[in-house]
Amino acid sequence: MMDVDDKKDFFICRCEEVTLREIEEVIDEGYHSIDDVKRITRAGMGLCQGRSCSKVIARIISQKTGMPLEEVLQTSYRFPVRTEKMRVLEEEGDSDAQNR
Amino acid sequence: MGGSYDVIVIGGGIIGLSCGYYLTKQGKRVAILEAGGFADGASGACDDMILFQSKKPGINLELAFESLELYRSLVSELEDSLGFATYGGMVLIQNQQELRVMEEFVRQQQSYGLDVEILSRSDMRKRQPFLSERFIASTYSPMDSQAYPFSVMHRLARKGRELGMQVFHGSKVNALDRDGNGDYAVHTTSGHVHQAPVVVNAAGAWAGHVADLVGATVPMEPRRGQLVITEKVPAVGETNLWTAKYLVSKLKPGTEIAVTEEESRLGLGFAFTRTEGDSYLVGSTRESVGYDKRTTMEGIRAIVNQAVSILPVLGEVNFIRAIAGLRPATPDGKMVLGEHAGLPGFFTAAGHEGDGISLAPITGRLLAQMVCEGVVQDRLKELSPDRFSGTVNTEVS
Repeated sequence: MMDVDDKKDFFICRCEEVTLREIEEVIDEGYHSIDDVKRITRAGMGLCQGRSCSKVIARIISQKTGMPLEEVLQTSYRFPVRTEKMRVLEEEGDSDAQNR
Repeated sequence: MGGSYDVIVIGGGIIGLSCGYYLTKQGKRVAILEAGGFADGASGACDDMILFQSKKPGINLELAFESLELYRSLVSELEDSLGFATYGGMVLIQNQQELRVMEEFVRQQQSYGLDVEILSRSDMRKRQPFLSERFIASTYSPMDSQAYPFSVMHRLARKGRELGMQVFHGSKVNALDRDGNGDYAVHTTSGHVHQAPVVVNAAGAWAGHVADLVGATVPMEPRRGQLVITEKVPAVGETNLWTAKYLVSKLKPGTEIAVTEEESRLGLGFAFTRTEGDSYLVGSTRESVGYDKRTTMEGIRAIVNQAVSILPVLGEVNFIRAIAGLRPATPDGKMVLGEHAGLPGFFTAAGHEGDGISLAPITGRLLAQMVCEGVVQDRLKELSPDRFSGTVNTEVS
């Protein structure tokens, strides 16, 4: 059994174990971008790099602030978009892949 | 929108927030104008070190000691652990030339009160069993510490706000002028005008541009630092790590050490610190590429290859992200802290390059003292912005 308030303790970011409650607190403090929320709570900084949670966070920000979802979603992905073993780069040839 | 304050701080990075916090604590009404969002600049793309061993005996080392004490008190003041931890640090030495330079450097630091020593190869390997065989010795200081920059910044902002400080994001300053009373009017690109008798330029790599707006001189060069972040892994050895190679090339430019063209162009040096999230921050580069803060494949590859060659065990570790920030560098390696001659009420607090996290608390506190008490300690005169303008002894009307 779970009351309404316990639902706020659900993990939104499972990699870094960040709950809905923590994310809402930071939004209430006035941080209204995915990057702001990420940097403060670590949501989206883990192994999946926010691929599963950043859209959910964007939606929460949009719902709480009334900002249009598309505006909240403008955020950049950093290299690498998938994780790699460090030795892989040693074996690779030259490439000019860059962050956008 | 706009407003009237006692002090306007331009720049909401860790230095601006620290200045704002300590000014607010002293009763000033403060507004912080940040061009981007939270931790958008160098403070959000750096490592977390409060590092003593890299600092030359002198004002930087002295202030680092004081800053460490302030971090200890901030942990209770800001009601957060701030990721503050003291794992100690080692600087790895790979040949006799490096050893000679580091022995001399360690002696100087010891005479300045730093707890630091040279470890033999076997003592080094006890603390760092995964190291490549090529290192012959290392330094060790139990004092090297760290703090998590995001927590520090978030908590400074939160506590400051509780005390009345205002922080504006997306407020890029594009004009600064003075009215008849000597008050500054700070204009932002969105058309707002904020007013205050005191302005603090804490704009990091952009501090030169802000100074230009009032006709002052602050020679500030952006140095790009790239870093790689690993997945969560169990601790690799007991301490954080650096290599002597880069330090030696800075301390003794004539020393015969083999630095490749790529290493020198990228300003490559090894830095390895355990983070708040149980991952490692692995660095780093020190490049002069203007205001380009992209990560590059060349930089990332150089950092990763260097790391795997020093700690082969890292070959099996995933890295999950690369970051880059623009460190604000001054010509003499010391920060700029003080009021500008001829511009009463205009202060600069910037230019920490790689020492921003280390020195943020003491910078904010000293700046607040200068503003509120109107006195400059003698030892801080070497940090004055006037050292670059040639007006130290001249009255400017």
